[in-house]
Amino acid sequence: MLEYWPWWAGAIGLAGIAVLNYFLVGRLLGVSGSWAKVVGWKDDQARSAELKSLAEDKGEMEDALLAETLAEFGEESLDELKDDADIDTSTEHTVKAAQHTPWTVHLVFLVFMFVGGLLAAITSGNFQVELTLSPVHSQIFGDNWEVWLALLFGGVMVGFGTQMAGGCTSGHGLSGCARLIPASLVATMTFMASAIVLSFLMEATL
Amino acid sequence: MKQSMSKQYLFYAFLGLAMGFVVARIGFADYDELHKMFIFADLRMLYSFAGAVILSMLILAPFSKKIPRQNKIFQPGTIPGSMLFGFGWAVSGACPSLVFVQLGAGKLAAVFTLVGIFIGVLLHKKIHARFFRWDTGSCGV
Repeated sequence: MLEYWPWWAGAIGLAGIAVLNYFLVGRLLGVSGSWAKVVGWKDDQARSAELKSLAEDKGEMEDALLAETLAEFGEESLDELKDDADIDTSTEHTVKAAQHTPWTVHLVFLVFMFVGGLLAAITSGNFQVELTLSPVHSQIFGDNWEVWLALLFGGVMVGFGTQMAGGCTSGHGLSGCARLIPASLVATMTFMASAIVLSFLMEATL
Repeated sequence: MKQSMSKQYLFYAFLGLAMGFVVARIGFADYDELHKMFIFADLRMLYSFAGAVILSMLILAPFSKKIPRQNKIFQPGTIPGSMLFGFGWAVSGACPSLVFVQLGAGKLAAVFTLVGIFIGVLLHKKIHARFFRWDTGSCGV
């Protein structure tokens, strides 16, 4: 079994992902945002359809205008018109396409996080199928069913809390704090402090 | 920045893969390591996290004007939401990304966390639309 990375290697690795995320997709890392997109896939689908029909409408409108222009001024007016029109439409479409990342892309992101974890576990010899989370976790919570119940409720708190706070460890903690955004600094201090207090309380029950 | 669809899928898949791998190798998916960090018995992972924040800050600083504002505003849910998340993290050992890494390490119990997070996100969506209605900002969307 391989040792975990020393702290500096972890820092370089995590920072590398945060930075790469910006350079590859043009925005900062945020996993709870991907969750929101995947869970709200129906809304996202509706928005995709809306954007698409908007683009199509725009195309139709242009055709109609073009036909009118042709009828009114004849062929020669087309050339000068074309230059202007091309610039306008292409930039607008680009902006829209860049803003919208469909929910399936976010799902791929989440699923590949699982694949990455699997790969890391197998290559380091840490992979082991278990029905519980860890020895200490079972010591704190007890029998298997109690562990599962704790995980279910913990999960609900994590899901609800991150959406309510507008970010999680990656969005607020890493991306937000790296840019010194006040709300992110407050959020990060709050969730770290809460986790620390509760962990000390749980430790005291052992 | 215009990107074709397939490129988006490829980039996000790569980022997910890299993140899952790195986070697992640091040890974040290991509840015992995480618990040790939260009770200050071993600060290695905390240093990794803090180091990553400082490194990203330095590397991203020259681009700060170009990075799109991601609407991270202080809103009524920031503090209660973060508290809830912190408690949930201490109990389940999972944040929205760690749950996948735990599953990748073979911890089947994390399926319960996965279902829990799904319910939590859905619940917030419904309750927010019905009762809160304030702007929560967004997380990288």
